[in-house]
Amino acid sequence: MSKSLLKVDGLSKDFGGLKALDAVSLHLDRHEILGLIGPNGAGKSTLFNCLSGQLSSNAGRIEFSGRDVTRMRASQRARLGIGRTFQLGKVFSSMTVRENVLAGFGVGAYGSFWRSISGLITRPELTESVDRIMEQFDLQMYHDSPVTDLPMGIQRRVEAVRAMATDPTLLLLDEPAAGLTHGEAEEFASIVRRVRDDGVTIIVIEHNMHFAMELAERMYVLVQGRIIAEGPPEVIRKDSDVISAYLG
Amino acid sequence: MGVTLANIVVTGCLYTLLAIGLTMVYGMLRVLHIAHAAVFAVGAMVGLFVFQAVPFGLWLAILLAMLASGLMGVAIYHVGYRWVLDAPRGTPLIVSIGIFIAVQALLERPFLLGPQASSFDASPDLPALALGGFGFTPIQTTIVLSTGAVGAGVWYLLSRTRLGLSWRALSEDINMARSLGVATQNAVALNMFLGSAMAGLAGVLIAVYENSVSAYMGEVVAYKAFVIVVLGGLGSVLGAAVAAFTLAAVEIGIATVFGGLFPRNAIGFAVLILILLFAPTGLFGKRLD
Amino acid sequence: MDAYLISVFTFIGFWIILAMSLNLLVGYAGQVSIGHAAFFGIGAYTSAVATVKFGVGFPLDLILATVLAGVLGGVLGLPALRVRHDFLVLATMGINFIVVAILLYTPAFGGAYGIVGIPPITIAGVEFLGLSMLLLVYGFVGVLFILKVLLLKSWFGFRLVAIRDDEEAAAAIGINVASTKIWAFVLSCSVAGLAGSLYARQLGSVYPDNFGFVESVTILAMVVLGGSGTLIGPVIGAVILGGLPEYLRFLQEWRYVLYGVILALLMIFERDGLFGPKSRLRLALVRWRHARHRVRP
Repeated sequence: MSKSLLKVDGLSKDFGGLKALDAVSLHLDRHEILGLIGPNGAGKSTLFNCLSGQLSSNAGRIEFSGRDVTRMRASQRARLGIGRTFQLGKVFSSMTVRENVLAGFGVGAYGSFWRSISGLITRPELTESVDRIMEQFDLQMYHDSPVTDLPMGIQRRVEAVRAMATDPTLLLLDEPAAGLTHGEAEEFASIVRRVRDDGVTIIVIEHNMHFAMELAERMYVLVQGRIIAEGPPEVIRKDSDVISAYLG
Repeated sequence: MGVTLANIVVTGCLYTLLAIGLTMVYGMLRVLHIAHAAVFAVGAMVGLFVFQAVPFGLWLAILLAMLASGLMGVAIYHVGYRWVLDAPRGTPLIVSIGIFIAVQALLERPFLLGPQASSFDASPDLPALALGGFGFTPIQTTIVLSTGAVGAGVWYLLSRTRLGLSWRALSEDINMARSLGVATQNAVALNMFLGSAMAGLAGVLIAVYENSVSAYMGEVVAYKAFVIVVLGGLGSVLGAAVAAFTLAAVEIGIATVFGGLFPRNAIGFAVLILILLFAPTGLFGKRLD
Repeated sequence: MDAYLISVFTFIGFWIILAMSLNLLVGYAGQVSIGHAAFFGIGAYTSAVATVKFGVGFPLDLILATVLAGVLGGVLGLPALRVRHDFLVLATMGINFIVVAILLYTPAFGGAYGIVGIPPITIAGVEFLGLSMLLLVYGFVGVLFILKVLLLKSWFGFRLVAIRDDEEAAAAIGINVASTKIWAFVLSCSVAGLAGSLYARQLGSVYPDNFGFVESVTILAMVVLGGSGTLIGPVIGAVILGGLPEYLRFLQEWRYVLYGVILALLMIFERDGLFGPKSRLRLALVRWRHARHRVRP
């Protein structure tokens, strides 16, 4: 198994006349925690959307685990092992916490239409997996609460656990600390590290520089659709281009 | 050939009048305003009654028809749509359908139009004009000129006046514009009034052109107006006009070539579906999600 | 029971089946369709042609009607995926008109005169007419209701709800949104076809007029009025709107004026539908259930 998990080459995305991504190239090794930072509107979420398949790119190539996924649909990439959370925190609003997590487990497993109509969703082995992962991430007390009744921090966690339930190899976290208190952000950071230790590779988009630098082992800086810097946090912190991009 | 061309132009004009009104209403309220067809039929009816009561009163009939339709549109907004603007999408549609069913059933009553069609012969009243070498009959001339005047008026209103600006703001997001302090209720009511008045105008003109008024005339045009609005890009007045003429040309063209092999009604839809397949945003519109 | 009443209740049975099937598409898969009557018609005409022209018997004609309507529904689903909300409404409206035009203009379907002389359902030599047909239809209603409950409890149903809640998130956890929606079309339209087959056998004749815009709109109104996306909503909607013209019979020709007014007012009064998530009736039902539990020790 090669060490490189993700290779992006010359990825470009236009919206009408606006170039959101301009020949972005990056690579990711297994078990890394990669940080992606940049000022607002730099194109970070657009990059994520192109990686996870929510958007299709205009040019460039995305290679995941040795496979070319550039033209694949989002659901296909999810089944290959790319999981993600969203900037706005997309939980399934009509469901409970438990159901959200269960969704992550079951849907991929019961692939074709015929299999999906034959199974009722109370299969015992899934119940165990759901309980286990909820305990692992301290969600068991929220079991049957409607997810929209809960504070943002918990909702974010549910979204991440749901993504974890799909057993991803790569997890994309889009601004996970947004709207969280300092304490909640710390908790989330330790969860992220735990997830990485379980064997999942992670890319984090963060606007909160402090959170990003604490968590990431290596970073890319994206400004106006272009990568302007790459390296460990200590180096990035001192990079003059980066500083002026944020302040200028 | 000349006759067909004149026919296409006139039909295009009539469709345009119908569609502009609907575009204005839909563009602002985002309601599938099926009841627009009822307003249209009421306009035709009022026009007929006034004309029957006042000989040589075609222009008065048109004016009063537009007034009646306009007021009816405002009433529909205040009684119906206002309460359900932020309800789930299906709700305003069903309200509109309920209104349409009720109005059409009311028009069917003998003291109004009754179940049979009535004639609307206004020929002695029309200006004795004929446009160019295409031999437009007086009624056709009237239609073309009215459409031109209305179209220019609407364009001016939307792009050059403060009212038009506030309408465009409202159509972007009716809730947000409310919070920005635009005099919402009045602007919306005026929009409904003008859009509906145009339906009334279309109603009278079509009634005179086809020499027929019936309680069911709304049903036939209801979906055609929507086809045009969607094709034109859901909120673009210019797009609606282009789509209206395109539909007229295709309908009449196919009818001339294929005769009675395929009904005119279905043609409009076949065209719509084909266009939607290849251009999901219609001909002119912004991408609607 | 009076033969006329039996007929009315049988027709309400058809409306219930139609509303339940449309609800799967509109309320669960989130695809607004006002062309459902087209599939009702496809099913009806399939049974008509099969029985009258080919002497096919029950249940084969029913199966043919259901399958054909389902297949065509799947075909409809493909382009429907590319267009959004309001466009979809128009497109389904168009499909309806086109289907009716085909039924009207194809000589084999009898044109405006339709197809007559459709025999009633016969099982083991017993003809199903009147009361027996009523029971058969409601038998189908019951079975379909149960199947719907089971479907919604299955993984497929779970996917539908996930898609309805958030399509992007659903795709992000591996749900093939397009495929799920197309299956929703197939299931929904096939049941409409089934209703059509029963309808043809009940009425004995079919005309293109009965499967048009007005009928499609009525079915949608039943779903929305009762509360789309709920199990009992479409049933209630069908009973109310299907029966309303009968309840209003005393008004003679003013019936439909009041029908339209009532429909509009009910929708304004209860915008999520009579049994929708936050409706007064549903809240009362929930309170009643809680009260019952409290009484028990």
